[in-house]
Parts: sequence; structure tokens; C-alpha cells
Amino acid sequence: MADRGPLSTLARLFRLWRLYARLDLYFVTRSFRTFVVWYVTDMIFGVSAISGMLLLAERFAGIGVWNKEQGLFLLGYAATVTGLLEIFFGFNVAFISRRLGRGQFDHTLIQPQPVWMALLTEGFTPFAGSATLVPGAALLAWAILHLHRTLSPGWLAMLLVSLVASTAIFLAFQYALGSLAFWAPRAAEEINSSSANLMGQLKAFPLDGLRVLLMGGLLTVLPVGFVAWAPCRYLLGLTPGFRAGFATPLAALLLGALAALLFAKGMSHYGRTGSQRYSSFGHRR
Amino acid sequence: MAAAGQIGESPLFLMDYLLRFLRVALLLSIWRLLFAGRGAVSGMTLPALLTYTLIAEAFAEPLLCRTEIVWAFWDGSIATRFLRPMGLFAQFAADAFGRWSVGFAVFSLPLLLCAPLLGVNPLPASLMAGLLFPVSLALSISVGLAMEFIFMALAVLFEGEIYAISRVRQALVVLLSGAFLPLALMPWGLGKIFDWLPFAAMASAPLRIYTGTGRPAWLLATQLGWTLLLWPLASWLWRISRERMVSYGG
Repeated sequence: MADRGPLSTLARLFRLWRLYARLDLYFVTRSFRTFVVWYVTDMIFGVSAISGMLLLAERFAGIGVWNKEQGLFLLGYAATVTGLLEIFFGFNVAFISRRLGRGQFDHTLIQPQPVWMALLTEGFTPFAGSATLVPGAALLAWAILHLHRTLSPGWLAMLLVSLVASTAIFLAFQYALGSLAFWAPRAAEEINSSSANLMGQLKAFPLDGLRVLLMGGLLTVLPVGFVAWAPCRYLLGLTPGFRAGFATPLAALLLGALAALLFAKGMSHYGRTGSQRYSSFGHRR
Repeated sequence: MAAAGQIGESPLFLMDYLLRFLRVALLLSIWRLLFAGRGAVSGMTLPALLTYTLIAEAFAEPLLCRTEIVWAFWDGSIATRFLRPMGLFAQFAADAFGRWSVGFAVFSLPLLLCAPLLGVNPLPASLMAGLLFPVSLALSISVGLAMEFIFMALAVLFEGEIYAISRVRQALVVLLSGAFLPLALMPWGLGKIFDWLPFAAMASAPLRIYTGTGRPAWLLATQLGWTLLLWPLASWLWRISRERMVSYGG
């Protein structure tokens, strides 16, 4: 704990990811039957989330200004973002309101490491959590191959940056909303389920043709437009201009800062009230 | 009791419904985008499709027909449910009706009232369609509840993961029932196949009756047929599986 340089911190992050990957592997191999049931279930659930739009893209040979291949790219991108979220932020790390509402956050607070480091690593489930990423990445790769575009290193780098930024936006939204559970643990305990469901359902929708007010709302209040639509428009050349590529990373920074601020305020409140897990109105009453 | 439990300790529960309003607005926009410059597609015009979507969202809870049984398994409270002087099916059905009543008051009614502002006609296609819709909705709930108990009984019977099986059911219902995507608009003739499944009796049938895009007599007959087939099956599966039930929770 003595050395806190950036390289030391990075090395520790990788050590923790390796540790949690090993634990995840133990989980997978402990009961293969259970693993298969959960894996297939998650895959069905992940695919069904985009199947509606997939069927529409096929039936109408595209969706609005998006041709079929572009539509599939959008769906693959959206599923990949969900997959990344599930791989890196499993065990309810992405559903922070559940941990807060159930008083489980105390388990994180007593660990001898910063909270951010615990949250960034302890949900890492590369094996059990890959059920959505595999079909999502496959669809994305299929769409890229059928788009017949030249794959420059710059474009691939922007794809990677956009995927990370979109994942960060999804997560930041979950934390901004989930922080409500600091103040209303019971009412807000499941609020992240609703928000994640909604983001999950809407992430693959093309927002073209929406009225300005609604589109503005879907890029700010409920930033679902940045989960797939806006970055995909840039990556596919539907939104011209180099600067458009920075919109999603910039939105990720702004929303991330807002989420961090709300979470810090919630933590401050939590420091005064403590866990309500075992109180007369707590989760385990 | 269920309604009071859903409202909880603060008005935050309303946020869920606010998010659903956004979803409706977005769905309507998608249909307008897809149908721009097109006439009827597979017998569905844009106004009929918009009404279909609006009614599907307004009645989403009864059409998708979820009870709290999965959570009762999850947290172990299913054990105490067996001690109550009331049948298990009746308990969870009554509980579901209580929760749906909250959703109907704070979401469905305002949505239906706001429909003209969204450019959607919320009225049924005809007086007959309006009269038959409640009958079809009741049959839809009946089929949905039977399916719910069949899935849960199968989970017990095969000692499966209740939550996992519940997720599969949810995914299948959303895709195959026509609640999100009307079966008639599916490619490769998939809709014609899915029409024969019990999932179609849950959402597609009442919505097609309401919007006048299907034959009411045939749709009601299929719903009744599935009800008569599925309830004895649900009852039998529970009878043979209940003693195998294992519940943890806490």
C-alpha cells in the first residue's frame, strides 16, 4: 500500500483483474451445468434485446437512413457495449443501487484499497460474463466485413475509443441514478434495473427523425443516444467531420464527472447515516 | 397490499413510469421513420400500428403477465406463501393485479389521455373491437398466468435456476408475443409461425382485435384454446413438482 505511483496502481489493477478472472474461472468450472444454464440464458437474453431491431432491419432492408449492413453494425456495437459492461462490471457493480440499498456497499468500504479500485476490478467476469459480448462482437465483425470499408488503424482506434466511451456513459448513467439509493435505499434499490432495462431496450434504436426536444433528452437526461447511435453515425460516416468523433468521449467525461460528484455527495451522506441494512426499515429487517 | 408495496417509501417509484413514457415516444418515432412514404405493410397501416404500439405499452404489464413468484423463490418467501390459507396461484395473481392497478393509474391512463398529443388515435378500430378487447385481454391474462406457473413449475421440476428460467421466459415473451414487434411485420414469414404459439395469445391477439387487424373470432378461439390447454398442464406440473421445491433466500 506504500507505493502509489501511476505504474504501481496500474500494475495492481492488472493483478486484481487477473485474480478476479481466476475466481471467475473457478466459478465456471465448479458446476459446469450451472454455468451452461446461466451462459445460455444470458445469451438468449442479450440476443433478444436486439432481435426486434434485427428483424425490422431485415424486413425493411434497413431502418431509415441506415441500410441493412449499417443497421447491423449499430446492433452489434450496442450489444458489444452491453457485453463490455457485463464483463467488467458484474456482481451488481453496474447496478450500484442494489449494493447500496441492500447495505452490501459496506463490504467494499472495509477493504484495504480505494473504493474506485474495488469497483473497477471486483466485477471482472471474463468467462461467465461473456455471453452477450460474444454474439455482439461477432455481429459487429460481420457488419464491418460487409460494409466494404477500408479498415485504417485510425478508424479501428476510434472504434475502440468509442466503445470504451459508450460503456463509460452507460455506467456513469447507472451511477448517477443509482446514487439516489444513498438517500432512499428502499425506494431506489431497484432503480438501476429500470434504468438498465430502458437503456438496454433503446440503445439500438436509431434516433434519426426525432423531434429536437426528444433527441436532446435522449442525448442528455437519458443519454441512450451515446450508447450506440451517435458513435455509430460517426464511425459509418453518416455524421461528417472529424470533430464528431470526439462527441461520445466528451460526453463520457462530462457524465462521468457528474456521476462521480453525485456519488461523492451520496458517500458523504452515507458517512453520517451509515448502513440501513439491519435497521427496522432496512433490507434485512 | 401489493400496490402499497410498489409505491414504497418515496415518489421515486414514479421514475420508472417516466422512463416508460420516453420509451413510448421513441417507439412511435421509429414506426413513423420506417413507414415514411409507405402505405400498408402486411396489412398494417401507420395509424393502426401507432395505436397498436400505444395500447401495447399502456397494457404492457397485464400483456406480459409477470407475477412476483420468481422473487418469492429468489428471496425464500415462497415457503411462507404455502402456509397462507389461499391457493398459490390465487395469491400471486391477486398480487399481480394489485401492482398492475398502480401502473394503470399512474402510467396507462395518462398515456391514453396524452395520446392525441403524440399524434395517435387511442380509440379501438370499431365499437365491436372495443367490446371484444376486454374479453380478449382477460383471456390473454389467463394464458399469461398459466405460462408463468408452467415455467416456474418446470424450473422446480428440473432443479433449474429460477432466475435464469425467468429471464428466458421474459426474452421469449417479448420477442414471440408481438408486444414489441407486431408478428405481421416479421421477415421470412416468421409471424405466421409464431401466430400458432401460445405467446401470440398473450399480446398479439388482443392488440390485433383492438386495432382491427385480425379476425376476432379466430383470435378469441385460439386464446380460449390455449387457456383450456395450459391451465390443466400448469396445475398438473405444480402438483408433481411442488414437493421437489427447494428455497433458500434470506
